[in-house]
Amino acid sequence: MKKAIVYLNQFFGQIGGEDKADFAPVLKEGLVGPAQEFNRRLEAEVTHTVICGDNYMGSREEEAVQQILDALADKEFDIFLAGPAFQAGRYGNACGVICKAVKQRFKVPVLTSMHVENPGVEMFSKDIVIFKGGRSAAAMRKNIKAMATYANKLLSGQELFDAQTEGYFGRGIRHQVWRPDQKPAADRAVEMLLKKLKGEAFVSELPIPELEKVAIAPPVTDLSQATIAFATSGGIVPKENPDRIQSASATRWGRYSIKGLERLAGGEYKTIHAGYDPTAVDADPNVCVPVDALRAYEREGKIGKLHEYFYSTVGTGTTQAEAARMGQEMIEYFQNEGVDAVVLLST
Amino acid sequence: MKLEIGNFPVKDIVFGAKTCYSDGLLTINKQEALAVVKEDEHITEADLEIVMPGDQVRLVPVKEAIEPRVKLDGSPLFPGAAGDLVRAGSGRTHALKGCSVLVVGKHWGGFQDGLIDMAGEGAKYTYYSQLKNIVLVADTDEEFEQQEQQKKNHALRWAGMRLAEYLGRCVKDLEPEQVEIYQLPGITRRDKALKNLPQVVLVLQAQSQMEEPGYNDLFYGWDCNHLLPTLVHPNEILDGAIISGSFMPCSSKWSTYDFQNFPTIKRLYQEHGKSLNFLGVILSNLNVALEQKQRSALVTAALAQTLGADGAIVAEEGYGNPDADFIACIVALEDAGIMTVGLTNECTGRDGASQPLVTLDPKADAIVSCGNVSELIELPPMERVIGELQSLARDGLSGGWADDEILGPSVRKDGSIIMENNAMFCGDQVVGWSPKTVKEY
Repeated sequence: MKKAIVYLNQFFGQIGGEDKADFAPVLKEGLVGPAQEFNRRLEAEVTHTVICGDNYMGSREEEAVQQILDALADKEFDIFLAGPAFQAGRYGNACGVICKAVKQRFKVPVLTSMHVENPGVEMFSKDIVIFKGGRSAAAMRKNIKAMATYANKLLSGQELFDAQTEGYFGRGIRHQVWRPDQKPAADRAVEMLLKKLKGEAFVSELPIPELEKVAIAPPVTDLSQATIAFATSGGIVPKENPDRIQSASATRWGRYSIKGLERLAGGEYKTIHAGYDPTAVDADPNVCVPVDALRAYEREGKIGKLHEYFYSTVGTGTTQAEAARMGQEMIEYFQNEGVDAVVLLST
Repeated sequence: MKLEIGNFPVKDIVFGAKTCYSDGLLTINKQEALAVVKEDEHITEADLEIVMPGDQVRLVPVKEAIEPRVKLDGSPLFPGAAGDLVRAGSGRTHALKGCSVLVVGKHWGGFQDGLIDMAGEGAKYTYYSQLKNIVLVADTDEEFEQQEQQKKNHALRWAGMRLAEYLGRCVKDLEPEQVEIYQLPGITRRDKALKNLPQVVLVLQAQSQMEEPGYNDLFYGWDCNHLLPTLVHPNEILDGAIISGSFMPCSSKWSTYDFQNFPTIKRLYQEHGKSLNFLGVILSNLNVALEQKQRSALVTAALAQTLGADGAIVAEEGYGNPDADFIACIVALEDAGIMTVGLTNECTGRDGASQPLVTLDPKADAIVSCGNVSELIELPPMERVIGELQSLARDGLSGGWADDEILGPSVRKDGSIIMENNAMFCGDQVVGWSPKTVKEY
């Protein structure tokens, strides 16, 4: 039989109320409080209950997490369940923190449940599955049932549906699915349009997420002293593409020395980007990475100097997440090597 | 404008002495058909195969799909692209239904080419596994692009059009089993009942990203890159005025067959006179320069407003850079007071966690999503491959790769494959067939 471990706060773990909120974590064998209901609903045995005070977790998070992870290290378990935390903010935070840590360390599925107004939803719904729970303990049985139903499907390898169908908060992870009714997109589009025209309610299949705006950087105070670097998503590389950067959906990037070069010579540099017409760039790579122009600025004293390397990857089909990761990796070099400003070159 | 499409359902296809159609059986004289293919001296090798739904066959690199048809008045099927410039969209066209001519490279694939599995788990990823297919598998002397990731595929695509027209000719003088009639009177000549319904336009954003000729969709032979949004009768689209290009990652591409059978046009026709007045199609494009994107969005909105549209559906043939055109067009239409629904696919990354379109706007509040290009797909070996399996890995197909640190190569020694949905032949079916959507997990 599969095994489960349940996490509770001091109150539901029957240690005490607010006065016991500083209670240090313990791992108890067997079932405490709501762990019994989990045990009844799950097609798995709840072997242990972890109990930790909400304030202890809130004020000494690192310590609390370490203590719990250490206690769990020699236990066998297939799933970890925390809460339900209802609308209790500190409890929600604790469930989120410990679920995230357990998932990362032990690679087992973790589940919790919170009311939509619990701040833990905003904090952790991208990282873990949080079921949509009730406001108070009155919803205990219902919320445990929802978690257990999903847990049972997970443990037995049954098909799992999307967040809305299953009843948890979406994690911002989008995958294609085949509609059970096979209704073609043409019908869906025309029906949606008719509803929109009539002022009736309709559901967009791609809800627009909140946009992450990147603030525009302040101007460089003295260009004549500044070291300027180039970074491009235009796929300019030495002709043998030494870092094997992919032509689309890139996950790799490279940096290439331009020390002593007046310009990038066609034939020695080229683009490997598959999303635009390469003719002009291959003939003269400086139209994408204008080494020639910044060398002129260098001579004229308009800029301090051009950084020794240019940085390159491919933008076509490359996901925002990969692009952000590659950007972060490049930033380390820029910062370590005294780059003051970067010109981002698109295609 | 009135277009009649006479349908000849194809139940089986065989090779035989004479190319003819009788009682659902399409017989093809292979020699004669191949002679039509080889009219172009650039075709160096060619063969025909017949593949049926359920056959243990994998096709790759697939370049194009075309429905075999004939115009009864002798007009060319694809005016301006393959034949004289005459108007498309009226008169009588006969069509062999339930089948398509698939054009497959014998060796060389490219960014824009795709894969079709006729059976098994892979079959669900493309519309074309449901069709009976006449497969032209051929090679050309276009050596200048053999090693290029982007291929114009000119000889092969035009051979496909000739073959489709040749096959269609066998039903020219026969009585169709059923006739579809597509007729819309001039916009100002419509009766009052129609004028009282919501006025709707369909905006098609055809692929036009390449500056060099030979890659983009062609409208009466005209490169869509050089197009300003223009008003088109829907019948023209259904009747060969536009042919597919050779550029977009394949699951986002619209084949010529897709244009000939455009499901969203047919669906709007069904609603015409009942719940809406279908004003027509605004053909727009997906150019890469920002100014060109803005211009196309503004002209589209101005055209729609001039026509008196209340609502619009905007469909995008592509993803990534073209998302900017898609969102700009929706925003321009909404700003003009025209209620708009978008029809597109998404690119959320292999883990599904990335932003679904390159650009987004809260005004794009009604979108139908047809698939995720970056979904990873793993498929077992197939008994038979038509074309060359290695092309998926070797030739830079948008959903294939030569090697990957974690996933290994797209094509494995045992013939099993791992790829992105990107390379499924016209797989996201944004023209309106898609039974897929995208859900949040």
